[in-house]
Amino acid sequence: MSYRHLVLRALTIAAAVLFAGCSGASLATSSTTTPRTAWGDPDLQGVWRYEGAIPLERPARLAGRAALTEQEVAEQQEVEKEQAAKRLAGFEGAVVGRRSVGESPIRGNEYNSFWQDHGRPRQVSTRTSLVVDPADGQLPYTHEAAKAETRAAARYGVGPYESYLDPDTGERCLTDGVTGMMWQGPNGGHNRIVQSPGYVTILHEEYRDRRVIPVDGRRHGAVRQWFGDAVGRWEGDTLVVDTTNFLDRTNYEWANIWTRPSESLHLIERFKRLDAATLEYTITVEDPATFTRPWTAVIPISKLSDDTQIYEYACHEGNYAMPNLLRGGRTDAARAKR
Amino acid sequence: MRVVSWVIVVLASAAAGAFAWTHLPRSSAAEPYQPPRTADGVPDLNGIWQALNTANFDIQSHAARPALAVVPGSPRTGIPGLVRATHVDLPAPPVRALGAAGGVPAGAGVVEGDEIPYQPWALQKKKENADNWLERDPEIKCFMPGVPRATYMPYPFQILQSTNKVLIAYEFAGATRTIHLDKVGDSPSPSWMGWSRGRWDGGTLVVEVTDFNEETWFDRAGNFHSDELRVVERFTPVSANHLMYEATIEDPKVFTRPWKMRMPLYRRLDSDAQIREYKCVEFVEQLMYGQVGVVNPETGSRNQ
Repeated sequence: MSYRHLVLRALTIAAAVLFAGCSGASLATSSTTTPRTAWGDPDLQGVWRYEGAIPLERPARLAGRAALTEQEVAEQQEVEKEQAAKRLAGFEGAVVGRRSVGESPIRGNEYNSFWQDHGRPRQVSTRTSLVVDPADGQLPYTHEAAKAETRAAARYGVGPYESYLDPDTGERCLTDGVTGMMWQGPNGGHNRIVQSPGYVTILHEEYRDRRVIPVDGRRHGAVRQWFGDAVGRWEGDTLVVDTTNFLDRTNYEWANIWTRPSESLHLIERFKRLDAATLEYTITVEDPATFTRPWTAVIPISKLSDDTQIYEYACHEGNYAMPNLLRGGRTDAARAKR
Repeated sequence: MRVVSWVIVVLASAAAGAFAWTHLPRSSAAEPYQPPRTADGVPDLNGIWQALNTANFDIQSHAARPALAVVPGSPRTGIPGLVRATHVDLPAPPVRALGAAGGVPAGAGVVEGDEIPYQPWALQKKKENADNWLERDPEIKCFMPGVPRATYMPYPFQILQSTNKVLIAYEFAGATRTIHLDKVGDSPSPSWMGWSRGRWDGGTLVVEVTDFNEETWFDRAGNFHSDELRVVERFTPVSANHLMYEATIEDPKVFTRPWKMRMPLYRRLDSDAQIREYKCVEFVEQLMYGQVGVVNPETGSRNQ
């Protein structure tokens, strides 16, 4: 992603309307009539992005608490504003990728922040986790998956990198998986939804991931794919997408274990417009290969201004990191031998 | 008598009908096809489409040949009575094992006049590209195919037509184009699939594509362009199940004048036709990186 691109995007987002009123009220109901497409379907079209500060899992320090106090929300809002201002001013390292600089095992990880786009200040909510079920806000990993998650977290950015199978699927320019596609990715977490009669298509900027979802009453086919086989239906104004037939990709390295597909993964997504600017996106994940029970997360997603574009994400085409990483691995191995 | 007059009437009617059928203009042939309209009142191009031709091998007319990568065979000499040394192209070693599955079928070109007006240096480069196909063709590395090549690769694509945006979802490499029918700003940078602005010209969707990089090719024969490429595409429904596709190519750095390709596109009528994943990055990692790391995943042993 070019610097120019990011500047343009930052300007676009900065120009977008701030709706501070949404903070802490993202789940509030709204009775606005859902807009319709020219052919009469509920209209979900536009560019959407998760801009909330709610973490997927409840942080340990908030164990047992489903909601923040008003004072905590106000304090957190100040922190988010300050961090956003620092980012706009060109400071680095305020928030870097999936963890803070302090937590990161990668020396010089600050490098990554310049090409990440966190947009406007993240919206603070009283909620303490996106996971609403189980009630403790934690992903119900199996023992094996928890071990894999710990191992993957320790390897992230550290290696070893002995072959192209060692970097995670994102670093290989494959995908970060479908489970987090609608709301993950600081390097391009934008999603354009385009509808046509009988189809809802979601174009995710990062890895140019794309889902063409038939919403025409057809049943699941027999072809397994990374993104599975998705079929949609309208329940009132809510789009419900049921996805099965995933490929087994549990043997690859994943930045987040919970996004990886396996043959037993069953994903149910619900897209519901709460108001003109907010989509309530609910995922229910069933996968006995990774979780002891199904879990559900409710994610408020923001609509960006109409002139926001999804740009081309030519990741593999420009993946200089891969050969450099592998050559670095060889240099390390040669040194270790001496 | 009565029967005879009936026979005469029937024969006369049949003759008149036959005359009309063969000699009078038929309205259905004279008028252009009227495609179904979308709820927005424009021609409905929604569907899964595919070209059925050999343009991805070579957009110009070409004879069949044994492989895309060839080496000259050893000339046969010293045979009594042989007037000319026989020269044959043989499949190059990296593709030889493919046998007939690796051959190139003959095909009529899709270029109007069958001539691509290269500048002299560019024609030379095209030949070099063809001679170094295995190393240079971006298709081999699963890079995005560019426009118009994405249209006539041997993979289907889906047109998803909304009111202000038309998406084209290509199967190969998961490439997607957003065609903006509404007002849109300029492209922030050059790109593989270009920047597409569309408009309706009667029954035709006209797409102007700009802001390309210079990385993509037109086919496996080494036909190429520069970053000054500009493509104007025309998608015209000509029957319920096919579109006529035209692409006008302009690139003053490489060609002496604009030129045009033209081909029909066919609707995929297979049951449960869908654009499937073809995430080919995974398929080319061994080719691109297998020898680079400490360990070669093919053998499980250390690279030397």
